[in-house]
Amino acid sequence: MAEDKIVSDGSPALSVQLGPLRLKNPVLAASGTFGYGREYADLTDLSRLGAVVVKGISLLPRPGNPPPRLVETSAGLINAIGLENVGVEAFLKDKLPYLRGRRVPVIVNIFGNMVEEYAELASRLDGAAGVVALEINISCPNVKKGGMVFGTDPVMAAGVVRAVRSSTSLPLITKLTPNVTRIADIAKAAVDAGSDMLSCINTVAAMAVDIFSRRPKLANIVGGLSGPAVKPIALRCTYEVLQAVSCPVIGIGGITGATDALEFLLLGARAVQVGTANFVNPGVTAEIIDGIERFLRVQGLESIEAYIGSLDTRCVFPFAEEACAALDLG
Amino acid sequence: MRKFKEEARILDQENVALQTWRLRLLAPRIAAEARAGQFIMLQVREGQDPLLRRPLSFHRILPEEGVIEILYRVVGRGTWWLSRCEPGTRLSLLGPLGNGFRLPEKQASSIVVVAGGIGIAPLFELMTQLVAKNACSTPQGIHLFYGARSAAEFLPPQAFHDLEISIHWSTDDGSLGYHGFVTRLVDQIVLGQKLCPEMLYACGPLPMQYNLAKWVLAHGAPSQLSLESLMACGLGACLGCALPAPHPGGSDEDHYVHVCKDGPIFPAGSILWQKIRLYQTAPPLFLYS
Repeated sequence: MAEDKIVSDGSPALSVQLGPLRLKNPVLAASGTFGYGREYADLTDLSRLGAVVVKGISLLPRPGNPPPRLVETSAGLINAIGLENVGVEAFLKDKLPYLRGRRVPVIVNIFGNMVEEYAELASRLDGAAGVVALEINISCPNVKKGGMVFGTDPVMAAGVVRAVRSSTSLPLITKLTPNVTRIADIAKAAVDAGSDMLSCINTVAAMAVDIFSRRPKLANIVGGLSGPAVKPIALRCTYEVLQAVSCPVIGIGGITGATDALEFLLLGARAVQVGTANFVNPGVTAEIIDGIERFLRVQGLESIEAYIGSLDTRCVFPFAEEACAALDLG
Repeated sequence: MRKFKEEARILDQENVALQTWRLRLLAPRIAAEARAGQFIMLQVREGQDPLLRRPLSFHRILPEEGVIEILYRVVGRGTWWLSRCEPGTRLSLLGPLGNGFRLPEKQASSIVVVAGGIGIAPLFELMTQLVAKNACSTPQGIHLFYGARSAAEFLPPQAFHDLEISIHWSTDDGSLGYHGFVTRLVDQIVLGQKLCPEMLYACGPLPMQYNLAKWVLAHGAPSQLSLESLMACGLGACLGCALPAPHPGGSDEDHYVHVCKDGPIFPAGSILWQKIRLYQTAPPLFLYS
């Protein structure tokens, strides 16, 4: 892919290939943190994004969970929104045309209570102009049926992916939950069932309580933790998934700046999704794209491809003797 | 309406009542666009802890000077950090956000404004505009019912001197004005003086809003209640600031509106009050004093 290496002005090439999908850069907005794009249009240039992953869509509109739905924790945010969304019909009619007009590739996060609903959603979205891929949400911790239930069992996860695979020709991303004993098992099952890519992680199951009122801080009692607090967990999960599968992996979890994004890319993730940070800094995705480009320039790298997966794990640290010998201190 | 991300500079900050601070910020772009009742999302400090911005309403909007004033109460870590900020500090703002108050379409003879504690914050700018634009036939026709737990929480009375409006004070502990909840005082005076408010504006704790909403719905007065919620984005993306509302299709199914985008100003009838839960209890005073 020599043509991707150097753009005419000499800036490093940021475009990435994710299986069947080519994106102009590896920075995506994560589902549930970017609405349907329009919410951010005043504050950031949508067309700069590699892609937008829209809020999880179900067949019918869902009202979501009763409030309180949010708790701020140390460097983190626990949410229990409950997949409130407008439903696939309203999405296609009212939301998608706007994003299409802004020339940003759209990845639709899909969610259902039953396997058949996922399949139905996939066939409804198949061929919708502007949609470049589907992200199968089998990892939401905040709904009673479906969601994480599918994502914690390899056989059920494979069942959902297979049903979606047979209903659409769109590239498929399966979004994994960290709330499992061995994430690699779920990853392998999803890929074997036909998922082109994986994204990880969804939120970490979490809880907060109030010592004065002696009640949980969320009406749903438990929720999902996101934000900087989960980044080390996300890196470990991404690492384990990358060891288990050979398909492209999208890293998600606690990314607030270019250095965080580069950590996931270093592991071998071919793209990243930025979530909670959008709430704090609506322009963060553009800043990350610029930051990655600056980093590659300083490092003398021609393209992001040259950096992706370059983590040296042969041994954790070099022995002092070898390192000093290499320095040739005389 | 446009919204901006603006780096504001603190001009000064003053402790004006018990645990209550008035922050003057130089933020010309936001000041030029802001309307009474709208809010900003303010980042109290750089870094990741506290992680989220804080929603704060406009206490004063001074577009000619490029200045906005924020009145806030220290209730947690975020507002505590904010209260430590020195003049000259730069703070990142997003705004103006939300719908804002509507002024009455034709001149009214009587307008009721109900403030509970720090709820005075957005109502002060509103009342300033009501007076300046002769929204009421006389300034005295604007009745401010100002309640607090104790007298120490009130803004000083001089703050209201130039407005020349009618003010009715109440405290829960009886330390100033009427002894009891402000909603009782509203009931007594409005019914006693046979006021027929053409609009009721209110901001305050949820129990106060709940009682006012019931009162308003029973008496058929139009209302604009400024409601609050925990919020992550303020932009309508996170969907965290949900309040139960009647289903638009008229069915019994659950339905929610969002304080940041559909509000923060709501007519009493647009909220499903019987499903409201009082979950936001402030921590005891000793934590942040």
